Order: sequence, then structure tokens, then C-alpha cells
Amino acid sequence: MTASRCLRLPPLAHLGLVAAFAGSALTACGRSAPPPGAAPPHALISSIRGEPRTFNRYVGRDAVVDTFSHLTQATLVRINRRTQELEPRLAESWTMSPDGLACTVRLRSGVTFSDGAPFTSADVLFAFRAVYDGRTDSSLGASMRVGGKPLQITAPDATTVVIRFPSPFGPGARLLDNLPILPRHKLEAALDAGTLHEAWGTSTPPSEIAGLGPFVLKQYQRGQRLIFERNPRFWRTGEGGRRLPLLDRLTLEIVPDQNSELLGLQSGQIDFTQSEVRPEDYATLKRAADAGRLTLLDLGVGLDPDSFWLNLRPDRPGAAKKPWLGRVELRRAISRAVDRRAFAETVFLGAAVPVYGPVTPGNPRWYAPDIPRFDYDVAEARRLLAGLGLSDRDRDGVLEDRSGARAGFTLLTQKGNSALERGAAFVAEELKKVGLAVEVAPLEVGALIDRIERGDYEAVYYRFLTTDLDPALNLDLWVSSGDAHVWNPNQAAPATDWEREVDRLMERQVRALDQAERKATFDQVQKIVAEQLPIIQFAAPRIYVATSTRVLNATPALLRPAILWNAEALAVSDGARR
Amino acid sequence: MLRYLARRLMAAVVLVALVSSGALLLTRLAPGDFASELFGAGATRESIAQDRARYGLDKPIATQYLAWVVHAVRLDFGTSLLYRRPVGELIRQRAANTAVLALAALFVATLLGLPAGIVSGSRSGVVPHVIRGTSVVLLSLPSLITSLVLVLIAARTRWLPIGGMQSAAAWQAGLTARAADVAWHLPLPAVALALPLAAMIERLQSQSMAETVTMPFALSALARGVSRRRVVWRDALRPSLVPVASIYGFVIGSLLSGSFVVEVVTSWPGLGRLMYEALGARDLYLVAGCAAAGSAFLAAGSLLSDLALAWVDPRLRRAP
Repeated sequence: MTASRCLRLPPLAHLGLVAAFAGSALTACGRSAPPPGAAPPHALISSIRGEPRTFNRYVGRDAVVDTFSHLTQATLVRINRRTQELEPRLAESWTMSPDGLACTVRLRSGVTFSDGAPFTSADVLFAFRAVYDGRTDSSLGASMRVGGKPLQITAPDATTVVIRFPSPFGPGARLLDNLPILPRHKLEAALDAGTLHEAWGTSTPPSEIAGLGPFVLKQYQRGQRLIFERNPRFWRTGEGGRRLPLLDRLTLEIVPDQNSELLGLQSGQIDFTQSEVRPEDYATLKRAADAGRLTLLDLGVGLDPDSFWLNLRPDRPGAAKKPWLGRVELRRAISRAVDRRAFAETVFLGAAVPVYGPVTPGNPRWYAPDIPRFDYDVAEARRLLAGLGLSDRDRDGVLEDRSGARAGFTLLTQKGNSALERGAAFVAEELKKVGLAVEVAPLEVGALIDRIERGDYEAVYYRFLTTDLDPALNLDLWVSSGDAHVWNPNQAAPATDWEREVDRLMERQVRALDQAERKATFDQVQKIVAEQLPIIQFAAPRIYVATSTRVLNATPALLRPAILWNAEALAVSDGARR
Repeated sequence: MLRYLARRLMAAVVLVALVSSGALLLTRLAPGDFASELFGAGATRESIAQDRARYGLDKPIATQYLAWVVHAVRLDFGTSLLYRRPVGELIRQRAANTAVLALAALFVATLLGLPAGIVSGSRSGVVPHVIRGTSVVLLSLPSLITSLVLVLIAARTRWLPIGGMQSAAAWQAGLTARAADVAWHLPLPAVALALPLAAMIERLQSQSMAETVTMPFALSALARGVSRRRVVWRDALRPSLVPVASIYGFVIGSLLSGSFVVEVVTSWPGLGRLMYEALGARDLYLVAGCAAAGSAFLAAGSLLSDLALAWVDPRLRRAP
């Protein structure tokens, strides 16, 4: 065995500086080489864009810790990201009471954590206690409440848990997909001491981190990669009793630059990425896929269209000077003024479909195709603007209001996100054609969020990431008291009649146990929102992911992590092992 | 000499204090903060407020700055909000990686730039024109483009790894094999960093050499029948090194403190990338720590530059 084979170094390894080390490297590598005749491991390499900030999913909120949690932890139930059906995980079965207020969960028996400690109902109790503890300030705390109230959990025995909802809850056990069960025996002391927030930081030795997921963290090479190995105690088996996970090793390479990530994928140094394919990269990857070097998977229409909204808070800056900014006619005029097909062509290079509401065709279970559409009609847009008293009084091509002030606003967007910057510029250009002067101001994400939070803006163009497809689990966007009701958040009482009606319908939707009733109610909500347009969407991108041809059994989904949500089933094609 | 060194050290301390304080205050004063970046739009106000309180971001800026200064004078730059680890520890790790890269880049840049500058400054014909043209192109190209082109070449040819500092398997190998693995990952980022630098050294050295070979001592040597090659390489070389030596220290400092584009593109886990991540997350303590490290490198580089200058020009050693 040579040094280059040992470390997978290509031929140039024998040149220059490397040559000086090669002799001794040969000896050193021999110590860790697999035994003669042993098969090379089933291993895949994915990329992630950032460093982990913590290994504690109860605390961390970013995509990296979420991916880490999918790999190393498990939940009681899982929403199949492809079918949207609920699947048993640590829960062998569950039964909802007829009134929808209680869910009795039967846990799998004989399951152990990766360190050998048994999994029991006490771990489930611990998980709920941890996320509800105020000192933890858990990122999951809000998502594990119904109507702002925590669930009541009891454990009659070691394999049974009874979960009581404060009020009937339509999504029922789907809520449990959010909560990974972390080991009580490792973390209870920190919770009792009020230091769970600091537990499992990135300095924690991997041996201290136990889980119920398909993989265990073997090593974290700071700034470079996370190496996972199969959890030998993983409790799930595949078809025909096949051991899972199918991979021996999974590496997450930290590649901060998306261009380098793409090149790594093309050169075979990375097997798949966590990011979806950018529109501008599609052609390159399609050529590679046609040549058989990559697999390009079309996941269909995405869940997250870019959103445009005007500040509708009563205390917004300049509310008295520009009262027309709060009028629904303006929002309809904006919707009419933007050519959605041209938007899809320009912003997403054709890989997008026009949309008219926050729920896209990518979410077929909840999508309402027959909502009102204020489609492209420049003449109608001008008529609506004239109705607001906006006209071109000085014939300079820009509208003025009744006081003679130029009609326009500043549109904030996120700096450095090319799709958002392109989208905002396109909207500004389209609005210019109907006489609205829109100034685009890209801001760093922290500054943008700060402005949104303080309500210090006129309009924003931004993208929210969907975390769950069920609207009852994204309630904050729809109800007037919600934090994500971005155009006018945290209202003490609904500011408008239509918001009051949406609140009422959403409450009914959340409490209804009949799925057909829930869908019909949510359709009504979507119709109202499409009529009032507090938030305007123009196009939803088509989502593509690319993998190397070595990757088998990938079932990518629109919800993140697109490929690693089902990491235990991933495999490597024969003859292509690393 | 000792007084001179003490004076320079004092100046370095002042520079580091000013730069790190400036970085901390500017990051704190800019709109948004670590909590707003962490939570994103639509987060609950309670969560944001709770995190602000936890990280001390709700305190007045003066209180926050004073608390930081009290710790910083004891070389404790605080705890990174992003990684929840001491800033000093994070910087030590990353600075070592950056130093490896910077020294390799400096070695390559000197190896390419200096001889090229001597040749283009002392000869006429096609070769100097080609060298000059290449330098101008390399100087004009932003580091981002140079890095991406090199990564593209590496990806297409598969001759070199396209990024990172070590292979995944290297951690299981012995020390020597690990060093070999680092050396294998080094050429791409080092060349990306070195090319514009080599071009700058070439331009400076070329101009200086052209001037030196027309100086009386060189002309008289040529008149005495000494060969041009001998005059250039033996007599004119050392005096012509003054401009390059004078910027060499700054180059070292800027390499150590400013290689973040190359580090991001080539996934090199260095100080530049740490600073980039810290700025993105509005981690003010880490930003201040990185700025302090960068300015310390710059000050050290400047000191080295002066010492190098004194070596090539003995008159400077006698200067008050």
C-alpha cells in the first residue's frame, strides 16, 4: 500500500513537498489500513455550507444542527418527506382518543442508545421537560405547544407514554416529528442544573454524544468536516431484515462556497450537497447528468416562493405621509403589474412556475388551485393606482400622490442572495413601468431581520423556509397574533375584519379532526389571503438536487434535509466504494 | 536597538487595541445583532430578547465595551457567541492553519516573483514583455476569480483536491502522513494566494533592478568588462532588493490577515474564514478577536520588514 492509496491521493501526490513525506507516510498509513482482503467501506461524502454551532438540537436552530439531529437522533414518529404520511419510529404504534385530546403511544421495546443505555418512556418525559424548561430556551419549545400551551405527558410504564393536548389538535401525532429524543442519562444533570443550553457544544467529545439515530459522530475536524459512522445499535432494519443504515460511514465536508461545492460534485469529490441546485448551475449539471457523470433529480415545484410584503403595522414609518401604502388596491396593483411568467424566466432562468399565494403546488395536500388571481394586467394596475389618487401630475413617468410627493417606496432584500437580489430588481423594474418609484436596498441578513423585527421598513422581498407542510404547524404566519405574521405581527386583537376571519378559520382548522374539513377550511383561508394579498408571491422555483452516480436509494424531498432525511437507506453502488 | 524594538512593540499594542476595539464597536453599532441573525424573520420576540440578555447584547454599548476591555488586557477576548468557545482558543487553531498557508504562499510568490522581476528588469526582448504582461493580468484578477479558476482546473484534472486542509482519512494516519496530506492540500490555495503576490513582487523587483543596473557602480563594473549577468546577480541584486524588502513585512501581515477569499473558496480552515463566519453571524467578540490577530500579524510583519530592510541597506541600521 502506498501513501497515496492510503489517503486517497491522486497521482500528483508524488510531486514536490509531498515527496518528502511519502516514505514515512507509507509506514504510518500501514497502521490504520484495513486488514488484507477486507472490503472497502460503504461511504458517502456530502457537503454542508457552515460549521456546526452546537450538537444540541434542543438549542440549535440552524440547518447544520438539524441535519446532525437527523443523522444521530430519532423521533417517536416521522413524517415521510416524500409521501407526507406519518410513519412509526421509536413509537411502535399510537392511538388518538375520539375527542382528539389524548394520544397513547406504545414505544418499541429493546431499543438502546448508541452507548448501550436502554431507551424508555423516561427519555420521552425528559425530552418534553427539556424543551419546555424556560432556562433551555429551546428552539423547539414553541413548535411543541398547541395554542401556546404545553402538552401534558405521563408515562404509565416503561414502554407507554400518554400525551394530552390542551385542546383538540388536527395534526395530532404529526407534532411529534419535531422532537428528537435525546438521552436522559447524558443530559438530565445539565437540565437540572439549568445548563442544558450549554450542553453538547462543539467541543464535546464525540464519545459523549449518544443517540438513537442511524449514525454516531466519530470525529469533528473543526473547519473541515464531520465524520459519522454507523450506529451498531440502530434499532431499525430494512427489507428482509437487512441491517440499517446501509452505509458504514458518512462524511459531511464543510464547504462554505457554493461554487466550490458545485465543482466538488462535478469532480466526484463530493457525492451530494445539502443545497439545492441554483438556477444558474442547472445547465452545467444537466450536461454532466446527460453524460452519465451525475444524477439530477427533479423534485418538482418548491415550497418556498420568494415573498413580497408591505409594512402594514399601524405605527410604520411614514404611515401618515403615505396612507396609500396600506391599501389593498396598491397590493393588487403590484400583483397586476408584475408579469409572473417573465419573472420566472428572468429570476429563475425558466425553472419556476407562477404562483399566487404562499402555498405552492409543491404542497399538493394543502394547495388550493382556485384562489383569486390578480394576474398580469398593466392597464388594470394603473387604474387601481389612479383610484388611490396616484397619477403622473408632472408627466415625468413617475406617479405622484395628492400632495404632489413621488409615489414610491424602498424595498429591502437580503444582500448576497442572488435570486432575491434579482427578484427584487425585477419587481422594481416592473413597478417602474406603472409609475411607482421603487428603490431596492439589499442589506446583510442580520440588518434585514433587525429592520423587519423593529418594523422599520416600507417593503421587503425575502424568502421564508417552510419547516412543515401542515398549516396548523405554521400557524404563526396565518394568525394575527403570530410572530411570522410579518406584515403586522403580534397583534393584540385582529387589526382588520379579514384577519379576524382568518383567525377564526385557522382556529377551526387546527381543532378539526376530520382531514376533509381541515382542507376545506384552509382553502377558505387561502382565498381570503389571496384576495387581500398581505404577502405577495410571484413564482416558485422548481427544485433540483444532484448526486454522484455512486449514490443509491436516495429519496430526496422538498423539506430539508433533502437527501439526508432518510440517511439510513442510502447506499453506494457496487464497485464504487470509497 | 532595544529602545527601537520597545517603541515598535508599543506601537503594535496600540494598533491591535485600536483595530480590535474598532471592530467590536462597529459590529455592535451596525443594525442587527447575533440574536436577530440567529432567529431570522418570524421569531418570537421573547426568544430574541432572552438570547440578547443571555449574551449580554441588551447592555449599553459602553458597559459591554468596558467589560470586554477589562478581559482583553488579560488576553481574554471573551467567548464566541457562535461557537460558545473561548475566542483565543478558536483563533490559535485557525491562525496556525493560516500561517501554514501564508508561509507557503510567500515561498511560492518569492520563488516566482523575484527571479521574474530580476529577469524582466535587467533584460530586453520578448521575455520581459511576456513576464510584465502576465504580471499585469495576475494583478488585475481578483483573488476570487484566481481561486475559482484554480479550483476549476483541479476539479477537471483531478490532480489536486479542490478544497480542505486534510483528507477525511488522514486523522487515522500517523503524524508524518498527516503532514504529507496537508502538503498535498496546500498547493491550490497557496498558488491562488501567491499568484497576485508574485506579480506584485515581480513588478517592484523589475523596476528596482532596472534602476539599479543604471547606477554608477553597476555602469562602472560593466565598463570594466564585467559580464552583465555577473553585475545583475552579484552586484545589483542586493541593493535592488530594498523595495521588495520594505513591503515584505506588510505582505506577510496582509497574507495572514487577509486571505479570507481564498480560504472560503478553497475551504481552508483559516483565520480569514473564521472572520468571514464571525462577521456573517455578527459574533462581535470573535470579530474583535480576529481583527486583533490580523492587526498583530500586520504589526509583526511591519517589524520584520524593517529588520529585513536594515539587512539589505546597512545605512538604515545607523539611522536614529
